[in-house]
Amino acid sequence: MSAPARTARTAAPPLLRLGGAVALPVRPRPALLGLALLAGLAVASVLTLTVGRLGIPLAELPAALAGTADPQAAFVLERLRGPRLAVAVGAGFALGTAGALFQSVARNPLGSPDVIGVGAGAGAGAALFGLLLPGILPGPAGAVLGGAAAALLVYLATGTGFRDPGKLIIAGIGVAAMSTAFTHYVVYVVARDRASVLQAYLNGSLSARSWEHALTIGVALALLLPCAAALSTRMAIAEMGDDIADGLGARPRATRAWAVALSVALSAAAVAVAGPIAFIALTAPNIAKRLSGGHGAHAFTGGLTGALLLVLADIAAQHSPIGDRLPVGVFTMGIGGVYLGYLLVREWRKGAL
Amino acid sequence: MSADDERPGDGYLSARGVTLGYGGEPVVRELSLDLPRGGFTVIVGPNGSGKSTLLKAMARVLRPVSGEIVLDGRAIRGYRAKSVARRLALLPQDPVTPERITVGELVRRGRYPHHSPLRQWSAGDDAAVERALDRTDLAGSAGRRLSELSGGQRQRAWFAMVLAQETDIVLLDEPTSFLDIAHQYELLELCARLHRDGRTVAAVLHDLNQAARYATHLVLMDGGRIVAQGPPAAVLSAERVTEVFGLACEVVPDPYAGTPMVIPLPGEAERRAHREQAGPRAPARP
Repeated sequence: MSAPARTARTAAPPLLRLGGAVALPVRPRPALLGLALLAGLAVASVLTLTVGRLGIPLAELPAALAGTADPQAAFVLERLRGPRLAVAVGAGFALGTAGALFQSVARNPLGSPDVIGVGAGAGAGAALFGLLLPGILPGPAGAVLGGAAAALLVYLATGTGFRDPGKLIIAGIGVAAMSTAFTHYVVYVVARDRASVLQAYLNGSLSARSWEHALTIGVALALLLPCAAALSTRMAIAEMGDDIADGLGARPRATRAWAVALSVALSAAAVAVAGPIAFIALTAPNIAKRLSGGHGAHAFTGGLTGALLLVLADIAAQHSPIGDRLPVGVFTMGIGGVYLGYLLVREWRKGAL
Repeated sequence: MSADDERPGDGYLSARGVTLGYGGEPVVRELSLDLPRGGFTVIVGPNGSGKSTLLKAMARVLRPVSGEIVLDGRAIRGYRAKSVARRLALLPQDPVTPERITVGELVRRGRYPHHSPLRQWSAGDDAAVERALDRTDLAGSAGRRLSELSGGQRQRAWFAMVLAQETDIVLLDEPTSFLDIAHQYELLELCARLHRDGRTVAAVLHDLNQAARYATHLVLMDGGRIVAQGPPAAVLSAERVTEVFGLACEVVPDPYAGTPMVIPLPGEAERRAHREQAGPRAPARP
């Protein structure tokens, strides 16, 4: 090595200090990546609000945000694109974080909630309690129930929990197919004449979102993200194997159980407000991991990447020439499917499946 | 509980009548063992004799079916996980190397038991990490990735992570497997230095001569029981090794260290039987 040897002192990360009680190491590269992703998200958000026939002209955007613009701009911001943007950011963040947590537990880039059927299960739960048996449970609770049931089914079906990536994916395909079939059934029975409802429940859609949806995903994130943050160090240690983690007092089994529960809850929250949008949970954490060059769970950068991806996908879906207002879920499925294929081939070659 | 948990450890660890297993037939039955405080205990025995299982239970990784592991006078189950990790460290057999982790980052993870969720840094961290890197001769490699290192260096990096925990008790499960002979002795010398510094060290080893050379207390296991324990010279006799390992051998004093040295004589039992069968006048077989 030509670079001068680094000592332990220079290898130590800088600290974020708040009084005497808080001292957190800040790894420079993930922190910079986070800032870059935030900037990208800001640009994509402005794009969402301004492009297209109904877009608010860029010059009028500050006035619209301040609440002093003309009624048309205000209508677009408050009713059409504002809530839609907020839901896209929130759901994308939730999906990206959920994927990062699950991939860390499975120790495999393919072990994400949408690949193993948690998203489809949450969709089935939302359809069951939203359409077939309305009034028993609120939609989000139905989604959590469905997602948890799907995760449990996959866990039991593999016989080895979430450990073996090959079995995980095969069981996941089965559970996802059953869940989707169930959702088809419910939609067919209840809403066969309403194509938009069908799309929202089957593929995920961001059209006609309200501030209520934005509030739901916002509250879910406010509750669940601090838990994910508190878990992140333990998860990084659990990736070194149970014996090492036990030796360091990081309680790997409890850590994994918490991570799976959080991942299911975050997926379900996203599905509850936007439907089972595919492949954000799979792709976002892998992209974040690649960009940050680090190791461990990428809960925060994965979440930001997920938010950016979903907002971009939604811009494309809204303004694409190939279909009039295509649901965003169809779009992410098309792009994410290609990525899934690539990952499957790569992991297969590595012998990890 | 918590006030007592914060006290530094005394370095006492023992098993009291533990039965251990993985759900089926127990691997270890009703076993008791005191690790001599400040000693270097080496556990040896044939494959499947339960030595690694015993070490895992003593490290609180495996929960006994019955009986108790006692750490500094209290049942180990009564401690919080991190509190145990401040008194006792374990180097397991096959840790998973995180992708792209550097030596410095790995060793830093040994400080985890000294942190809390909001305080992921403690005053002793830098000094402890530097001491661990110095001692394992890795100070110049802190910024290198583990994947770039040789097998011997990588094992030293894991050893450094365990050192950075700064515990009174250090347990090592076959730390020399997969290393060439020079790196095996390098690692054993590191263990011996820990012991000379006053820490309580216990290791599972396969090589009887290495065990005899380094152990202050040798534990010989077979079929989930302790067959003999004590100073190596008292434990290792030709009869016992033959009986436990099924290998004919002689035990002679090591000409360099004076510790017992096992000279394996594979096939000797059959040769002897053949000679006796054929009578004294028959020509000796090759």
